[in-house]
Parts: sequence; structure tokens; C-alpha cells
Amino acid sequence: MAGTTIKRRVAADGETLNRKYSVYIREKVNQLLQVMGSSPLKPEELDDETLLDLDPLGIIAGSFKQVLDHLKDTNRELTITHESLQAIFDATGVGISIIDRDFRIIKYNEKQRALLVDDGIGDVTGKFCHEVYCNKPSPDIDCPAVDTMETGRPVIVREAAKKGKHFQVVTTPLKDGEGNIMGVIEVLLDISDTKRARDAEREQRGFYLTEKSKLATILQSLSEGLIVTDKRGTIISFNNAAESITGYPEAEVLGLDRERFFDMLSLDERAVKRQERLVNRECSARSRDNRRLTLSLSSVPLQDGSGNYSGQVYSFRDISEEKQRQENHYRTEKLAALGELSAGIAHELNTPLGSILGYARLLMRDRDLPPEDRERLEIIAEQAIRGSAIIKRLLNFARQSTPEFADTDINAVIADSLKVLGEEIGKRRISVTTELGAVRPIRADKRQIEQVIINVVLNALQAVAAEGQVLIRTSSMDHSVVIGVHDTGPGISRDVRTRIFDPFFTTKPFGEGTGLGLSVCAGIVSAHGGAIQVESEEGNGASFLITLPVHRNTEQTT
Amino acid sequence: MVGKKELLELNILGQVCPACLLVALKEINTHSDKLKQGRALLTVKTDHRDATRTIPDTARAMGYDVEVRKVATYYEIQVSARK
Repeated sequence: MAGTTIKRRVAADGETLNRKYSVYIREKVNQLLQVMGSSPLKPEELDDETLLDLDPLGIIAGSFKQVLDHLKDTNRELTITHESLQAIFDATGVGISIIDRDFRIIKYNEKQRALLVDDGIGDVTGKFCHEVYCNKPSPDIDCPAVDTMETGRPVIVREAAKKGKHFQVVTTPLKDGEGNIMGVIEVLLDISDTKRARDAEREQRGFYLTEKSKLATILQSLSEGLIVTDKRGTIISFNNAAESITGYPEAEVLGLDRERFFDMLSLDERAVKRQERLVNRECSARSRDNRRLTLSLSSVPLQDGSGNYSGQVYSFRDISEEKQRQENHYRTEKLAALGELSAGIAHELNTPLGSILGYARLLMRDRDLPPEDRERLEIIAEQAIRGSAIIKRLLNFARQSTPEFADTDINAVIADSLKVLGEEIGKRRISVTTELGAVRPIRADKRQIEQVIINVVLNALQAVAAEGQVLIRTSSMDHSVVIGVHDTGPGISRDVRTRIFDPFFTTKPFGEGTGLGLSVCAGIVSAHGGAIQVESEEGNGASFLITLPVHRNTEQTT
Repeated sequence: MVGKKELLELNILGQVCPACLLVALKEINTHSDKLKQGRALLTVKTDHRDATRTIPDTARAMGYDVEVRKVATYYEIQVSARK
């Protein structure tokens, strides 16, 4: 009995103990579950036996081990990240500081100290940023940190300066996990070198622009025409004088190829295209309004800084008038010399010719003279008379009288001249037409100008020969009246054109012309201060252009 | 890549928290090496809503990636190595 009772008591005690252990384990499991964020176990979910079989403490211990391992890994990663960030913070080329809401400096790097902290000041952690960075007792209203702190938006200050350095400031908000602004991260980018380079560039650009403007003014004010091309031959500059001489506006020429423009000018410059350097080459050209020009052209190649060919500069002067004056001068001098010579010869020949004629006539009075001798004497007399006539013309040429100037209506002079030529025109099937413009009267010797017109028109009629057209045109140009006599004859070769105004030069058969007509005309026109020139292409007729100046006081009367 | 992994499945449909948390943790502990190294992927099927919070929270604290999907009448909690 006693043994049974003891056994029963031992069994009861064991059960009680197991019960206590179960309760203890359940309590500890629930505690751990609560730590893990789970609700406690309910007896109906798991009875004690199932709970013990599950080994909950073992499970949770295993899980906690993994949680701790994970935390260790996370801490290691955080440490590495922190160290990396610190290294970047210190080594970055920009100044960085972190400022709290009270504008105290929490953290800053050495670059920030170099840019903003005055020399001799120690650690500034915990000090007010406005005192340390800006030397001010309180933050300015335009402080970017204040702006970012208030608005939560980043702010950029393009340029700020301190300690002789220039920098850009960027402030960005520092927020906590819930988006509240805890402070400001201020980043400074040192732009001193960039600014210096930019200032130097601006200065250089200003200098360049000033020089460019000066050069442009100089080019535009030059009296010489100037064309500049790039290395491909495209025209990149065309000054005022070039416009004025050629008649082409700058806008029409810029961008054109050099050779294309020279073709437009009919510039006789085959040599120019092939040569890089020219000095005062005399070239003929035509202006936009088809005026014949004589240009003195120079050309120099341009080089860049490395000595490479970078373009070409052409400069030119219009020497048309100069050339014409020169020709007139030579012609006048030649005429004067020939006049003197002719007068001398004429005077010396006149006396013997007079004797020859006189004695021939005296002999012809003899009534017994055989008929063949009479005939010979008549030939002698006739030739003496002819020689005398030539001498008379020579004397006329030599004694060209000084013009007697009076107000003269050129159109009326032309009409009178054509009346004189009526018989000559009537002999031929030539249509002579006039296009007489409303020209101003000029100061001229009417008789001499009539002589010029008759001579030139007669030449045109003789050139056209049997059938064709002659057009006489008058027009005004600048301060001159231009008389043009155009014919549809065979034209005049270049060789003849250059000598056509020379005295005694003639293309007519021997004995039919003295070669003095056009020479006398040139002399008269020259004495009037004008010019006569011929334009012609073989096979395409010829044009004589007589330019006579309008006298100032006659100009005012119209 | 998923195709090459061992796919583990724990079906605790009908169980309620916290018992299902303990059961899920036991499964994770048992296969922790394979799961951490990315060689296995554990899918826990449960129809207890609380478990979709407690199991992911605990597994994430243990360093796993967890995704929860609703499938028809139950949830699938997928536990895998952190990427």
C-alpha cells in the first residue's frame, strides 16, 4: 500500500512538474513571439504535447541566430558605406557642409573650410554657418540655405566669392524618413579657374571684335575696291569702293565663287586665276551697267597663323578716266608735234608747188605747143593743184583754232550735220536713225562739234558701205552728254582700234584718205575737255562714243 | 534562373498564427543554407491573413527577400535570398 501510495505521489509530482515546465515554455515562447511581432499562442491552437514536439524555443533560437547574423552583415555593410561616404566627403573636389535647422554646422569637409572659413579659425563644427561662412550675425534674406530650409527646394547661386575665390553654391534639403526637413546640405563648386578662363576669353573676344570692327571700318573707308576670298575662293568681303566701282551690291556678291564673279565682270584675268600674287596689273572689265572699266588690280595671298594658305585679297582701282586722260594727253601732244611738223612741211612745199603750177600754166599759154606736151603739162598742173589741196588740209590740221565756246544744243547740231550729209546718205541704202535724249546744253564750239559729228557719221556710212544701219543716240551721264554713233558695218579689229585716232593712219586705199579726219575729231573733243572712244568687235559693227562735259553754269540752267 | 532552383513548398492552409509562424520559421531554419545561397526558393501557402504580415516581417529581419501574392482563396509567401 505504502509503495503504491509513494508511486502515486511521485507520479503526481512529476505531472505537476511537467505542467510547470510546459507553462514556462509556453510563456517564454509567447514572449519571444511578441518580440517578433506575433500574437501569443493559444492553448486551443497547440496543446502542450504538440508544442513541445514542435521545439518552439529551438525554432526561435535558430531564427534569432539568423536575425543576428543578418544584423551583423547589415552593420558591416553600413560601416563600409559610411567609410566610403566619408572618403568621398573628404576627397571630393567640392566643398560640402551639413547645416541643421538652427544654422549650426554639423559636418563639413576640408574643401569647404578652404573656400569659406577664414584662416586661423579651428574646428567650426557646432558653430553658426552665417558667422563662420558669411561673417554675419544672422542669416541673410537671400541666403540659399534659408530658402531651401523654408521651401524644401534646391537653390543654386551661380556665382559667389570669398577669400579671392569664386564658387557656385547649391543647397539641397536634408530630410528624415518622414520627409521633414532636418537641415540643408550645402555644396560649393570652385569656379575660380573657369571664371578666370571665361574672363580672359571674354577679354580676348572683346579685343578680337574691336579689332574686327576697326578692320571692317578701314576696309569700308578705303578708296580702293577690295575683295577677300576664303581658301576655297568664296567671296567673304566686298567693300564700299568695290560696290561703287563694279556697280554690284555687296549682298549680291558675298558667297559667290571668285571665278564666277570675275566672269560676271568679264574680267580679263586668266593670268590672275593662276597667280597668287599680282601688283598693279592693268585689266579690262565691265561694270554691272555694262560700262567698260580699266582696273589696276593687285592680289596677295592670305596666310593663317600656321603659314597655310587661307584666302586671297584683291584690291583694285578704277583707272578708266586716268587712262583716258593719259591717252588724250598723248594724242594731243602727238597732234601738236605733228601739227608743227605739218605746218613747216606745208610752208616749205607750198612755194615750189606754186612755182610748178605757175610755170606749167605759163608753158600751156604757148599756142604752138604739141598736143601731147599740153596733155603732160595739164597733168603736172592738176597734180600740183592736188598737192596744194593736201597741203591746205595739212595747214588746217596744223592751225586747229581755239574753240569759241557758246551754249550749244547738241541735238540741234546733230540735226544740222545730218542735213549736210543728206546727199551722202542718199547715195546708199542705209537707214540713219536718231534717238535723241533730253540732254542739257553744253558749252561748245558749234562749228567744231558739227565737224566732229559729220566726220564720225561719214566714217560710219563708209564702213556700212552699201546697205545697213547707222544709229545716232544722245544721252546724259553724270555731268556729261554722250553722243553715240553706232553702225552695223564689219567692225574694227583690235589692232586698228588702238591706232584709229593717230594722224595719217588710214585703212582707205592710197590717195583716198589723208588719215587726218578722226585725228582732228579727237583733237577737237580733247580741246572741249571731252573724250572719244571706239568700241567694236570684228563682224559686229562699231560704236563711237563722244563724251562732252556739261559746263557748270549750263547745268544750272536746266 | 528560377527554373534551376529547388522549389520548396510549405502548405499550412487551415492553420492560424502564431502556430503557422513557428511552422514557417522551422521550415526556413531547416533550409537556411540553401535559401541564403539562392539555391532554393520556399513558397508558404496560408489562408491566415495575419501570417502574411508576421512571416514576411520576421523573414526580412532574418535577411531574406519576401514576396506575398494572393492566389484564389489563399496567399503565397515566397521566401528567397536577398538580391
